[in-house]
Amino acid sequence: MKKNVVWWVGVNNPNHSEKFGGYEYLEYSRKSWEHWCKENNCKFVAFTEPVEKDLIKFRVNWQKAIFVFDELERRGIDYDQICLVDSSSMIKWNAPNFFEMTDRKFCGLRDTDNMKWTYQSIKGYENFFDFKLDTTKYINSGFIVFNESHKEFFKSFKDLYYDNVDTFVDLQDNIVKKGTEQTPFNYWLQKEGVDVKLDLPMGFKLTHMHRRSFFAYNWQLKDDMNPYFLKWGYIWFFNGFAKDQRSQVMKDVWESVKNNYCSNYSNIDDLLDTVEHKDTAKYTTSRKFKRDVLETFYNDEYKDATLLELGTSQGQSTRMLSHAFKHVYTVEWDDWNIDQAKLRCKGRENITFIKADLYGAEWSLPKTDVVFIDASHQYQHVLLDIENVAKHMDDPVYIFDDYGLPPGEVRKAILEKINDGTLKLSKLIGETPDQLVSAAGTKFIDQEGIICNLKE
Amino acid sequence: MKKNVVFIPCIDDGDGRNSPYQYSVKSWKHWCKKNDCELVVFDQLMCPTSEMKITWQRYHVLEILENSDIEYDQVLMIDADTIVHPDTPNFFKMTENKLTVVHNEGCYDWIIRSMENYHKHMFNDAPIPFKFWEYINTGFLIFNESHKQFLRDFIAFYSANKDLIINLQSTFHVGTCQPVFNYFTRRTGTDLKFLPYEYNMCDLPRKEILDEELTMTNVGYIYHYNAIPKEFKERFGNVDYWMKKTYEHLYND
Repeated sequence: MKKNVVWWVGVNNPNHSEKFGGYEYLEYSRKSWEHWCKENNCKFVAFTEPVEKDLIKFRVNWQKAIFVFDELERRGIDYDQICLVDSSSMIKWNAPNFFEMTDRKFCGLRDTDNMKWTYQSIKGYENFFDFKLDTTKYINSGFIVFNESHKEFFKSFKDLYYDNVDTFVDLQDNIVKKGTEQTPFNYWLQKEGVDVKLDLPMGFKLTHMHRRSFFAYNWQLKDDMNPYFLKWGYIWFFNGFAKDQRSQVMKDVWESVKNNYCSNYSNIDDLLDTVEHKDTAKYTTSRKFKRDVLETFYNDEYKDATLLELGTSQGQSTRMLSHAFKHVYTVEWDDWNIDQAKLRCKGRENITFIKADLYGAEWSLPKTDVVFIDASHQYQHVLLDIENVAKHMDDPVYIFDDYGLPPGEVRKAILEKINDGTLKLSKLIGETPDQLVSAAGTKFIDQEGIICNLKE
Repeated sequence: MKKNVVFIPCIDDGDGRNSPYQYSVKSWKHWCKKNDCELVVFDQLMCPTSEMKITWQRYHVLEILENSDIEYDQVLMIDADTIVHPDTPNFFKMTENKLTVVHNEGCYDWIIRSMENYHKHMFNDAPIPFKFWEYINTGFLIFNESHKQFLRDFIAFYSANKDLIINLQSTFHVGTCQPVFNYFTRRTGTDLKFLPYEYNMCDLPRKEILDEELTMTNVGYIYHYNAIPKEFKERFGNVDYWMKKTYEHLYND
């Protein structure tokens, strides 16, 4: 059945990592949009892997537009309307459903923040397009809504780019130096005569929020200290300021509002309080790791799913996972660990404990929808775990702990299987090396965990 | 024959504030001539400003025209700290005969405080009836004869709530007539037509278009020299400087 789709653009470009101060912000944007899509019966589709690998010639901003229809169709997604949105945004948990306000037209919101910038950008491309652009209809391309009737328009935009790629790169990087695809996109919209609906409420595009004082609060009444964007806006764009501050600002915002994004969130905190975490217990994950896992799987989409845990250890994660999945199978070879885990999981009816040696016997474990790999951390063993799962299961979702554990054997195995196509990175989870507090005193070399092969 | 009228309040308050307004009047005179409209400059107070600020007195606009035997079709009431581009399209043709306004883009700290403070202290019997992106700047308002009763009622509302209004003005400094006008239009169910920002370009420095190249003249029509920060004036020039410069750039007479 056709659904409205949010085409979320969240490509992690290592070449720009320094410029953006890392890509941690993607996580907060994604969580907000995933929640909103679930609440509004829309399909969240992440664009995280660029189609063209040359990101200088094919900037992500170009790719997000020129490949949107190709990618949706390649992935077999039956779309109705499509919202293209940048990952510099977060959507308010209860924002109205803008898909219901489109009149089934192409929708965009005007860009009037820094009008000198837009004017210079428009002038810069004027000769190329040989067209007088109506500046009162100039839109921001970070949030647009369209549908199948615009497929030909996007195809012609792609053709335009491929036919003139070197010219565009030169204009973009050397001559105009004002934006990437936004101004050419505006020219193309107007030249092609696309009927653009411009009157969606401004609350759906709060850009340059510092410029317009949306981070302030009513300091005269002091009745409500919440900043204006939280109270009055729907989609917040963290742009128009130094890009390397984005992750920190979005993190702060997320920390202050995250409870609104999960109806069971108070339960998650309660759940997390019932087990120990890496800062006090040697053989478990951090609180953030467990929270990230729950935020990904503790929802309707996975309520009937099953999970296989390789490496029960003392059952901290097992207990937590048993709340998210219909059934948890957990494998451990050490008797003492199994006893400890059973004690810790007392009262949980949906856990099956399996004593097995993963590396010395034939694989005979149940097929599940999700696998949590946290057994041996030796390169060869991790590789074998992945290969066994891939061989005996039907394309499950993978969760890995200790991705960043030194000296890097777990990571080496995972990256090898990403490179050969067995695994596809969905997201990094848990603590970053500088945030991770380990009771064992271990200093990680990369992020704590990773999820692969999440279904789009 | 009835004409469309441009009505500019431009009163010498004795503080010299209105000296650059001559450029506004001259630019509007030019535009009116080009578009067959009549320019009316409101330059006499109806009562002391301690009784009623000029920004409130101007809502007698239709009475003033009638008492002066000026026949009008539609009337633009425009602030005198504006300059109009000579090529500005005739906005009277865009009104659909409605009360026509422009949203106040700019500092939303000021705008939202205006909304929230007046809601708390004056209009607290119902939720705020508009969103911040619907907040009107009263520097550009187009009326017609059908709005006579609305304007009478608005003035009457002032009289009935004068003490509270004056108190709120001096306490919060978030506008005089403007916050009340925003609530009053919605409470009376008045049909509004919004024109784009280009027809009342407030807060120009925030958009980085009030510059030596006068970038704003390339991207819009009516320049409103309000909300210019003190630091900006000290560094780059005051309202007098910018209005004179803009006028000379556009009209060169």
